[in-house]
Amino acid sequence: MGAECDMNKKWIIIVNVFIMIAMLFFVVLYSKLQSQNTAQSQIEHFENTTIAMERVTENYLEGEQRICDVWARYINSRNMTIDEAVSFIRISHVLPNASAHIVYLDTLSGLSTKANQDTFNDYTVSYKRMDLLNDVSWISEIGESINISRAYTNPVNGEQSLAFCNLITLHNSETGGLQDAVLLRVLPITELEQKWVFPQEEYENAELSMIDADGNYIIKDHSFKNSNFFEFYKSYNAGDTAAAQELFEKITSSTGSFSMRNSRGEKCILAYTPIASKAEWVLLSFMPMNELSVNTENWLLVGIVSVGLLILFVFDLTVMLYFNQKLHAAAREAASANKAKTDFLSTMSHDIRTPMNAIIGLTTIMKKNLDDTELVRENLKKITLASNHLLTLINDILDISKVESGKLNLCPQTFSIVEAVENLVNISQPMIKEKNIDFHFRINRMEKEYFYADQLRLNQIYINILSNAIKYTEPGGHVSVDMHEDESKKPGCVQLTYIVSDSGIGMSPKYMENMYHPFSRQTDSRVNSIQGTGLGLAITKQMVDLMEGTIDCQSKLGKGTTFTVTLDIPIAERQREDMVLEPLDVLIVDDDPILLETAADTLKSLGVTADCTGSASEALEMITHRHETEQDYSIVILDWKMPDIDGIEMTRRIRSTVSPDIPILLISAYDRTDIEGAAKKAGANAFISKPLFRSTLYDTINDVLGTGAKSAEPENDYSDLHGMNILIAEDFDVNWEVISALLGMYGINSERAENGRICVEKMRSASEGSYDLIFMDIQMPEMNGLDATKNIRALDDPWAASIPIIAMTADAFSENITECLNAGMNGHISKPVDIKLVIKEIRRIKEEKKV
Amino acid sequence: MKKLSCMISAIIIAVSLTACGSKTDEKSAAGFAPHLDTNTSCSITVAGSYDNFEALEAEFDRFNEVYPNVRLSYVKLDDYNNTIAMALQGNDQPNIFFSNGGMKGNKKYDSVFELAEDLSDPALSLDLDCIRSGLINHDAEDRVVMVPVFSRTYGMLVNNDLFKKEGLNVPTSWTELLSVCETLRNKGYTSPMMGYSLKSSGCFMNTVAYPAFAATLSSDPESLKLANALDPAAGEYMRPALKTVEQLIQNGCIDLNACDEIEDNYTQVILRFFEGDVPMMICTADTVSGTKKRESQSEAFTNAPFAYTFSPIPLTDDGGYFIDSPSIEFSVNKNCDHLDMTNEFMRFLITKEELNNMASLKRLMTPTTDLSFDSVYAPFGQVPSDRIISPEMLGITDPLTVQIRVAAFKVGKGELTADEAIAMYGSFE
Repeated sequence: MGAECDMNKKWIIIVNVFIMIAMLFFVVLYSKLQSQNTAQSQIEHFENTTIAMERVTENYLEGEQRICDVWARYINSRNMTIDEAVSFIRISHVLPNASAHIVYLDTLSGLSTKANQDTFNDYTVSYKRMDLLNDVSWISEIGESINISRAYTNPVNGEQSLAFCNLITLHNSETGGLQDAVLLRVLPITELEQKWVFPQEEYENAELSMIDADGNYIIKDHSFKNSNFFEFYKSYNAGDTAAAQELFEKITSSTGSFSMRNSRGEKCILAYTPIASKAEWVLLSFMPMNELSVNTENWLLVGIVSVGLLILFVFDLTVMLYFNQKLHAAAREAASANKAKTDFLSTMSHDIRTPMNAIIGLTTIMKKNLDDTELVRENLKKITLASNHLLTLINDILDISKVESGKLNLCPQTFSIVEAVENLVNISQPMIKEKNIDFHFRINRMEKEYFYADQLRLNQIYINILSNAIKYTEPGGHVSVDMHEDESKKPGCVQLTYIVSDSGIGMSPKYMENMYHPFSRQTDSRVNSIQGTGLGLAITKQMVDLMEGTIDCQSKLGKGTTFTVTLDIPIAERQREDMVLEPLDVLIVDDDPILLETAADTLKSLGVTADCTGSASEALEMITHRHETEQDYSIVILDWKMPDIDGIEMTRRIRSTVSPDIPILLISAYDRTDIEGAAKKAGANAFISKPLFRSTLYDTINDVLGTGAKSAEPENDYSDLHGMNILIAEDFDVNWEVISALLGMYGINSERAENGRICVEKMRSASEGSYDLIFMDIQMPEMNGLDATKNIRALDDPWAASIPIIAMTADAFSENITECLNAGMNGHISKPVDIKLVIKEIRRIKEEKKV
Repeated sequence: MKKLSCMISAIIIAVSLTACGSKTDEKSAAGFAPHLDTNTSCSITVAGSYDNFEALEAEFDRFNEVYPNVRLSYVKLDDYNNTIAMALQGNDQPNIFFSNGGMKGNKKYDSVFELAEDLSDPALSLDLDCIRSGLINHDAEDRVVMVPVFSRTYGMLVNNDLFKKEGLNVPTSWTELLSVCETLRNKGYTSPMMGYSLKSSGCFMNTVAYPAFAATLSSDPESLKLANALDPAAGEYMRPALKTVEQLIQNGCIDLNACDEIEDNYTQVILRFFEGDVPMMICTADTVSGTKKRESQSEAFTNAPFAYTFSPIPLTDDGGYFIDSPSIEFSVNKNCDHLDMTNEFMRFLITKEELNNMASLKRLMTPTTDLSFDSVYAPFGQVPSDRIISPEMLGITDPLTVQIRVAAFKVGKGELTADEAIAMYGSFE
């Protein structure tokens, strides 16, 4: 898989690079093509400028030659001597730097219009040592052509000059005959250089030169090296002789251009065109190729495209790598999740089959032994345990499924924290008892009793943590719960802290990293014997997060674990009235100093003076002393489980040695049913379960002293329920039979409506007081429970419209509860029904009705 | 990730190479530290008698690498010896001009040298020490008004591959020379040594005789005085030189008829040597300077190239002489425009590197102390100092050279005997 990915990555990079190179190649190609086209057009322009320069040059040369021609014609027509001719020219001459020489062809000497530079009165001039006039065949007849010399050194002043020439005939005064001579109109090169320049505004460094048929320079500019252009070309441009010769012939016979290297090795463009009025002379224009401004923009374009492609490439690559990594991670996670789910299903299969096996197996055994009552009772007990476990398992699976799909919603309602804690303790008691665990539940600063939150979820959190602590603590171990209220930063809330510590097996740091992940369970030989879904902590964490609280865990392998849950919980509007007792003297006896302290505080807040002691014998002395001084304690509160003398024995001694009248309250963190008989026999007036809530203490003390209203019905007294009439909307026959039988056990009458519509009809036709409440199934034929509720709430009869309706449904999710409440129901009981919860709910409804 | 980085780097490099044109200069004047503003813009002209001077133009280009806006040009003056004085006083004065030892002392050029700058002035910072001391001429005021840029000498081109092929060593003494020539002749080389012999100017007889004559004069100051004075009595000093010429011809080292087929003392001498069958070609260094360019012009040499060197002719059993003379010298016109930049150019040029560079371009003999850089001239670098003769330092004048040249030519051609030539000393023109 990895190798395949690497291969794919490699191919993507190769393809990207190939595309980039291809694009660059085409851009460069296009740029080059454009550059070539531009260069070609500029070269053509350069050639045309050269041709224009040729015309300018021709005009200039013709102009200068014409002056010479005029002089020559005049001299020839007047039969002048050399002196006369020179005098004539001196008069005609207007250019200060120019001069004229008349040189006899036979002696190559003559006169100059200007004196020799060294000797101011010497006008003689000699061309004997100059290879210029030895052959005058290049000088045409007057007016026929431009007769211009090559650049040469003026023998009169040493200046580099050009001469426009004509053959003339002079009168020889000595011989009386005629003598052939050459008239040279001599112009300094510097003079010409100033006038004869390439148009600078177009080509700054272009230079001109003029050559004859042999390549010799007539006049040359700076960059033209050597004394002969052809030699210059050959010196700096490699190539075979024949090709060079062909090129030279082309230059001297046509107009065009080509590129060549100059003396610096730079590529130059040379344009050539023949001078029309002077046969075999050629005008050359020379310019470095880089003068042709053709490249800059294109290279800029190439540069921009290159950088752009590179950035795109790097960006794409980065993004691709990023997503690849993400995909890898996702794939790993998916594989891991898949494995976890497979493991989970395997585990679930095992975990579901185990209790199912017990249920089926035990049921089979019971069928065979229906007569053996003891066996049936024992097996039914076991089946109940297995069923409960199975139910917990199914609830957890459903919860985690909701959590994972993000559909877990909170359904807040007013609840009593006292009841919640009682429930918590009650649920935990069987296991605590079974494992003989030293259990403490302490509360401190619990001012409020009623809160507005999702009680179901809160219970789940607290129960999960506590049951884990009990589950993972070895028999004889220690589990303690601390709960206290603090001020919350959230308005209208209190900060409720719930701390559960155990001396259990603890967790390894590695496990703790993943303990909130679903399907994770601590791997321990001791744990394997513990039943659990591995979902509890995951659900707990999700719920705490959902309630915007925090959960913290401190654990050491083999030492134990402490979980701390902190939640900001809104205070409910409904609270107990001010709870103040008459001034009383109370003695509290418990070996737990924290409980003593918190109980004393609580009693103090109730207006009671409390003495505390951790020792039973000391307590006995205190009670005796009070009794002897006729200042008996108003009430004595004893812990059942104390190290020296337990609460029952203590009660017995007080009753036997001190007074049979002192009210005695026994407190216990354990299941009181086990000791209830013995305690009552010993003389205890009442029981109170730990933790000692303010309201619990208030109610119990009032009950014992007979000073307050009876706040609760006796635990096993269901007489208040006798004769109640409940309408049950239930389509499923078995369910109807179960619930009606269960209710019948408590003396409650029930009537069935087979679906929602019938239920509505029954209510419409019922007279006031016919039913005390309705248990409403939700999913029913013809009309469901929700619609039925809405219809009932819409009835004209105020009694019928306001009758309490409790949902009794297998739809156990919070949104189902919300849906029920929104439809107008007053409560929710999920199936399978726990009859204790049903009775509790009935009593709650009754209570509310009274209020 | 490493691979990815490599690929990205490769792309960046490829893009960079695509986007940037590469331009490299084979040579540079990077070692030269400019003393003036490198943006200075001006023109400098060098006037001379050469038709063209490509080696100098190459130096112009190198100088332009430092001073790109200085426009340097070389101008040939027609009838140089007669026009240079006027040019130096005219409207378009050259900044630098050719000079030579022959001009110094000639009244005609007094005005020229009056304008010449003292190049030994320490303020100019010219590295005159890079030039062989025998080539630097100090005038009566101890000024150096001209510095050589090339030198010339006399010797013979040796076809080293031919010697190797024939299993012979290049002779280093007179005896060896005669012996080698005999061996070569026996092997079928009718003229083991050759040279130009049609006219006295540039003839091989002078190339052989002049070093021998100069050596004779250098050993006796009195003889030099007589010789310079063209005193017929000095004719006797020519005898060893003339006898050497005679012996080479009489011993069959040189076949005159074969030599007479060479039409000029420059191109044809070179092309004949490049035919590959001439073991030794007597000529001057000026002729050697044309070899490089003509290698490609010779079909024979192109088809069968061979190694060759230029060596002193072993005129004695102690070897040959290195006649060390300036060829072209540069003087600076102290009245010229942009004198500062002109001196800066001279400071740039008069260095071992630039002079050698210029010499190598044209295969001229460098005036610097390092002759080894060009393998053709390397044998002259091995001549011991006591056999190096500097005619200028010695005081040999031009009229004297005419006497030995004509005398040697005529003796060599058989027009005169040695005795007759000796007797005619001072009368040759």
